Amino acid sequence: MSSLTDIAIRVLRQREVGLLLLIIVVTAIVSTVDPGFLAVGNLKDILVRSAPTAIVACGVMLVVVTGEIDISVGSLMALLAALMGLLISRHEWQLSMWVGIPAVLLCGTLIGLLTGTLVTLGKVPSIIVTLGLLTALRGATTLLMRGENIDGLPEGLQSLAKSGIGGLPLSVWTAMGVLMFTGVIITHTALGRRLFALGSSAYAAKMTGLSETRLKLFAFAYTGFLTALATVVDVPRLPKIESGIGNGFELLVVTCVVVGGVAISGGRGRLVGVMLAVVLLTMVRPVLTFLDVGEAGEKWTKAIQGLFILLAVITDTVVSRRPTGSARGPVPVKPSSHLESEGAPA
Amino acid sequence: MNISDGKRRFPWWHEAVLGVLLIALLITAGIVNPGFLNLRGQLLLSRHLWEFALLALPMTLIILTGGIDLSVGSAMGMCAVAFGMCYSSTGSVALSCLVCLLVGVAGGGVNGWLISRMNVHPLIVTLATYAAFRGLGEGLSQGESYSQFGEDFSEVARGMWGGVPIPAYLFGLLALGCALFLSRTPGGRYVYAIGHNEQAVRFSGVNVGRVKLLLYASSGLMAGLTTIIYVSRFDTAKADAGTGFELDVITAVVVGGTSIYGGRGNIGGTVLGLLLIHETRQFVSRQWQVDELKSIVVGLLLIGSLLLYRGMQVRNRE
Amino acid sequence: MSIMEQYGMRSNRGWSLTCLLAFSCLWGCSGGTESGPSTTSGGTEEKLTICLLPKIKGIAYFSSCAEGAREAADELGNVELIYDGPTDGDPKKQAEMIEQWTVEGVDVICVAPNAPDVVAGAMRDAQDAGIKVLTWDAEGVEGTRSFFVNQATSQAIGEGMVQAMVKDLGGPDVEGDVVIISSDATSANQNAWIDVMKPALEKTKLNLVTIKYPGENASNALADAQDVIKKYPNLKGIFGISSVSFPGAAEAVEQMGKSGEILVTGLSTPNEMKRFVRNGTVKSVVLWNTIDLGYLTVLAAESLAQGKLKPGDTAIQAGRLGEKPIAGDNILLGDILVFTADNIDQYDF
Repeated sequence: MSSLTDIAIRVLRQREVGLLLLIIVVTAIVSTVDPGFLAVGNLKDILVRSAPTAIVACGVMLVVVTGEIDISVGSLMALLAALMGLLISRHEWQLSMWVGIPAVLLCGTLIGLLTGTLVTLGKVPSIIVTLGLLTALRGATTLLMRGENIDGLPEGLQSLAKSGIGGLPLSVWTAMGVLMFTGVIITHTALGRRLFALGSSAYAAKMTGLSETRLKLFAFAYTGFLTALATVVDVPRLPKIESGIGNGFELLVVTCVVVGGVAISGGRGRLVGVMLAVVLLTMVRPVLTFLDVGEAGEKWTKAIQGLFILLAVITDTVVSRRPTGSARGPVPVKPSSHLESEGAPA
Repeated sequence: MNISDGKRRFPWWHEAVLGVLLIALLITAGIVNPGFLNLRGQLLLSRHLWEFALLALPMTLIILTGGIDLSVGSAMGMCAVAFGMCYSSTGSVALSCLVCLLVGVAGGGVNGWLISRMNVHPLIVTLATYAAFRGLGEGLSQGESYSQFGEDFSEVARGMWGGVPIPAYLFGLLALGCALFLSRTPGGRYVYAIGHNEQAVRFSGVNVGRVKLLLYASSGLMAGLTTIIYVSRFDTAKADAGTGFELDVITAVVVGGTSIYGGRGNIGGTVLGLLLIHETRQFVSRQWQVDELKSIVVGLLLIGSLLLYRGMQVRNRE
Repeated sequence: MSIMEQYGMRSNRGWSLTCLLAFSCLWGCSGGTESGPSTTSGGTEEKLTICLLPKIKGIAYFSSCAEGAREAADELGNVELIYDGPTDGDPKKQAEMIEQWTVEGVDVICVAPNAPDVVAGAMRDAQDAGIKVLTWDAEGVEGTRSFFVNQATSQAIGEGMVQAMVKDLGGPDVEGDVVIISSDATSANQNAWIDVMKPALEKTKLNLVTIKYPGENASNALADAQDVIKKYPNLKGIFGISSVSFPGAAEAVEQMGKSGEILVTGLSTPNEMKRFVRNGTVKSVVLWNTIDLGYLTVLAAESLAQGKLKPGDTAIQAGRLGEKPIAGDNILLGDILVFTADNIDQYDF
């Protein structure tokens, strides 16, 4: 701990440092090929595209921290977008924005609560509940849309989502707010400490009188609410609402959470890492465009995304390699793991 | 008449419930639409089932150890591309099949190696290879589709022996093999034991890593085998083969009563789960002819069946 | 402890019974409330069952085709129309639906093959089982159908889009970069169009710089369009060739204030793109009358099943569309339409 190399190793062991290095290296390479990548407009676009993922990842991260998982957010987003369109589009029910949007937020929270209830009181594993919802909600969305697309959202909402306030769209401001709020929950509240404690050892948490049910219900409801929030601020940016919205979004969010260093078995993880992962994965598409990889190269997009994820995961295990210990389930919790979670959020 | 007594005397509780549900469904369907129970029709439509069914076998074993393999569908895309590329350059179906299987084993081996040697959680590894395998297929083939493998080859999946589709025999054989492996061999006992308490198995001197490596590699091998049937059935080899299969396969295994935490479940349950989902889908599509309804019903069936099991389960864990 | 456990048991048993009951009810109700439209044994005997299988169910293009198909079915009166298809556009599911309908023993199946090779086997089996098979919207493999309701070949579509782009940009002498934004790298239709568009573009002075594959994802389509606009300063036009990428590209151009500078074109129903045509982001939308396509397909299916339409015929009476010519085994709907600011308001579909 005293020598310099020790410190260097400790710094490198942080997932955040590795991700940051990766982002810097990639940015450096791209901007030597095409300096246009660093243009303010482009950086802003990357920020805007990261926003919905960042918002929802805050919720999913808390779910994963408690030792559960949520892979239904993409379909939930589609359902909520359809609902929002039906409620407030001028071609549909034409309700006021001030009625429609709270209704969407409420609906998202309620579905989150339902998920949480099935997990905690129904005792169904969360991966199964959300896998079921992933297919069921997508089907429900298609039924609800009846084969038509919905446009004609209120102009005010559209312009807030597209151009926004102070040069940044509403989604970016929302993402910042959500990030700070989630950061404060994690670091400065009893709720945050309890969520991590529950994930580290459900048994110990129970023995010390924490309510597993309530904590998990909160995490799922928060995720549902944030998904609704992301839908409200981001979907009006798109040309129209169609039933394919949020396709693959659930896997993107989960990928960001695990690449960001949150332990899949719960109890460990930091918000900064997750946010860096969000930025890194959002960068893949523009990076390929700016590298001008050409028509053949474009077809490697998915492979490169997969490679990025593998790389992030492998480097992490290589650097902080544990000699033994199981890769799943009740991983023996190291005493330090709880403390690690107390890092600063931003 | 207490259920706990029943459970002790009668270990096939999950299977019994699944069987009752299946029979109830078939009776309902038969009453509503007598044509539904036509045996020939059922056998013809069973073609939709075999690919999922084959993949469900190694998936059951993997989930029994507490792992998961999200990459099987993508592995099929990669295998299909290998098959197509090999066929277009050599023109030999046999060689293409071999290459297809080898690529499958290699893909599964990569998963297994990362999981057992690098100690990365299976969910994370296979989430990464889920994107990587499909991407590799797309990149190598440039999205190209390969076709026209000849009449004989399409008989592999479309042909019938004695009125029963050929892949059914293959599945029957492999399912029996898996069931015997689980119940009669030390390897099978290790699978359950790893799912119950991996640490204990490790300390008892079993090479847990090797077991896992073999399981994930066999899952890859099965993806290769399934791809051969898939390619034969549609006479098309393309990087989009098997899209979305992973979720359907996991659904079938879990509906079949295998615990996602590992340690509990068996092949018989998986077979019943497969049949229940297959028949439910068929019934829904026949009854309403609305595609999106199928996904809603299967999603609810998944959650509902797990609630049912939870209700029945005597809480001896935790 | 034993009391607790027994209590647990009891409640568990009740729980499982409730669930079981709920399940049975669900299925029971589903059986009782509605009788399937497909039951060939029940219902009035003379009704023909015609299945219309789109490439993707739930997108505006095919929904408008279905509208025309329903109109035809209502007009004919003796037709039970089933409109269903995969909501995710998976060709494998198309094949499985054909197989299901074959077993059910419907009268006619009209297929819009999303990947002709994939559905070919199922279509042959359907024909072997004595079911009449038509293709519409896209051609199938040879020998898998009796007629093709041909609205436009991929050749005509690909060339139509390139011609529209060249014309809108100001004639054959215009130079500049263009980009194609497709769907997935494996999408059969889009790849067929691209194969036509590439040589067609080579004959012009436009330079195809890249092809993007955002998949069926609106956010990615928007993002890719924004990126290519920033990356290629000499960009003159974008082809958005999927139902998601066309509006996505138009939205990107509009949001970046490049309306009029960078033109977007592609295939879409007019209602979807009216907004962008009115503000000048899009000058031409290429398509055909989709309502008429669905209408003609169902009429042709009925004629075929009744024996009114036979191989070798040179024309078909198509209700409100009048007489439509048949070339070989292709029933021709007519040329592709190009919607512009002048005529787009005349169409409502």
